Amino acid sequence: MLQAIDLTKRYDDVQALNGFSLEASAGEIVGLVGHNGAGKTTFVEMVSGLLKPDSGQILVDGRTPVKARDRIGVSPQHIALYRSITVREHLRLYGKLAGLRAAALRSHIDDLAAELRLTPFLDRPAGLLSGGQQRRAQAATALIHSPGLLLLDEPTAGADPETRQALLEAVKRRAGEGAAVVYTTHYLNELSELQATIAVAAQGRIVARGTSAELLEGLPGEVLVGAADGDLRVTTTDVTSTLLELLGTVRGPIESIELRTPNLDDLYRSLAVSDVR
Amino acid sequence: MFADVSYRTGALVKHNLILRLRDPGQLISYMVTPMVLMLLLKPLYTKAVSDTRSGGVVQAVTGQMVMFSVFSMAIVGNSIFIEREWRTWDRLRASRAGRGELLIGKSLPVYAVLVLQQIVLIYYGCLVVGMPAPKSAGLLVLGVAVWGFTLMAMGSALATVVRSRGDLMMASDVGSIAVSALGGALLPVALMPGWARDIAPISPGYWGLRMIQAAVYGQTGQTLRAALICVAIGLVTGAIAAYRLARGWGRSRLA
Repeated sequence: MLQAIDLTKRYDDVQALNGFSLEASAGEIVGLVGHNGAGKTTFVEMVSGLLKPDSGQILVDGRTPVKARDRIGVSPQHIALYRSITVREHLRLYGKLAGLRAAALRSHIDDLAAELRLTPFLDRPAGLLSGGQQRRAQAATALIHSPGLLLLDEPTAGADPETRQALLEAVKRRAGEGAAVVYTTHYLNELSELQATIAVAAQGRIVARGTSAELLEGLPGEVLVGAADGDLRVTTTDVTSTLLELLGTVRGPIESIELRTPNLDDLYRSLAVSDVR
Repeated sequence: MFADVSYRTGALVKHNLILRLRDPGQLISYMVTPMVLMLLLKPLYTKAVSDTRSGGVVQAVTGQMVMFSVFSMAIVGNSIFIEREWRTWDRLRASRAGRGELLIGKSLPVYAVLVLQQIVLIYYGCLVVGMPAPKSAGLLVLGVAVWGFTLMAMGSALATVVRSRGDLMMASDVGSIAVSALGGALLPVALMPGWARDIAPISPGYWGLRMIQAAVYGQTGQTLRAALICVAIGLVTGAIAAYRLARGWGRSRLA
């Protein structure tokens, strides 16, 4: 479905993409993670047809992004809604731009609104929606025409739990129906829930790819035992054994136990990925 | 193919029309204010411009019409600027709509607003202020159509290059006053100081006013000459706007 091969892009003195390659097949959710400035949004804008790479090639269903726009649904990183236009009018506009006609459009709008819990707000101007409702409305504009490739750029940034849950369910459903999904985020737990394969971007290219379990395997977590005679903190790859060992060494009463499993920061550290900003 | 393009363009025109209708304040203001000023200024202009048939009243009507139509560039600018401010233009560019469809969808409703404003003010000028009926409806239609195009192009170009809403407001206000005043909309060019008379033709407002006044008097040659210059101004500024709109703004930030 999506093939991006060896993309490069330079903005003045910043090399935004530097040999960026990524593939996503039908039904696959690819979680694209990386620090700010790693090239995630530049990549999404390129696949959306908004930016041209300096070199490299992008194919969506064998066509260039501009020619394949009917197959792509985009939800940008920032809210891009008309404040004075209602949710229904947004969906009608983007549905019509995707070629949906009257009856099909009406039914798509109703179904999508129910799925994303937007039905009570359909006739409310976007400017009067809460942040979470705006996030869902924006995602709905990407989903309205049932695209074969979904590009979701941090769709849950700043979202409440209800919004996050609704969006994750919608994404899973679309992938189940055969859509390829590129999902950028800073939340690893969302990607685990989506059962996504993870691609780690750093300094303009993909530096690692695999499932969450594969990428985090062997990375150290942390055990913190708070005791009356002082705190003990140990970094370890075997959290359970280490905890048992520590409990055996503590003499006074134990006040707290904290276990931290490896996360994205640990992964970045292990890959020697630094924040370029 | 053509049916798909028409369908999408129609959707964009309707969408932009709704946006305009939800924000009618500027248009109302730019229609009502010149109506009042035409009546107030008519006696002054009738005394000041005594060398032509009904020059005073024509100046009162066409001067105010041109002046406030130039002010309406702010409506054009605003309609484009909100697309930058709300980040919606790039979202539209990522849709299936082509560049031409996006530009037509954006332009047509705004152009209709500009033409409507001029037609209403000319009708009002004839019916209420007492301007004689234009001798050639065809020339007047041409003048209004061309002036609407010029204003739309200038306003669009302005909105694509400013860095903030404050810049847009400042440029529209100062630019409108300068363009219309220097063009003779406030004070007839013949009554201006010599230095101002000399530089008046650099103002698009000068050619807009000449075109509309010549059209009212039925002077074909003068109307066409001024129309050509207005079209040229519109084409140059329109090309700047179209180029900028087609590229979008990407990561550029507004101030």
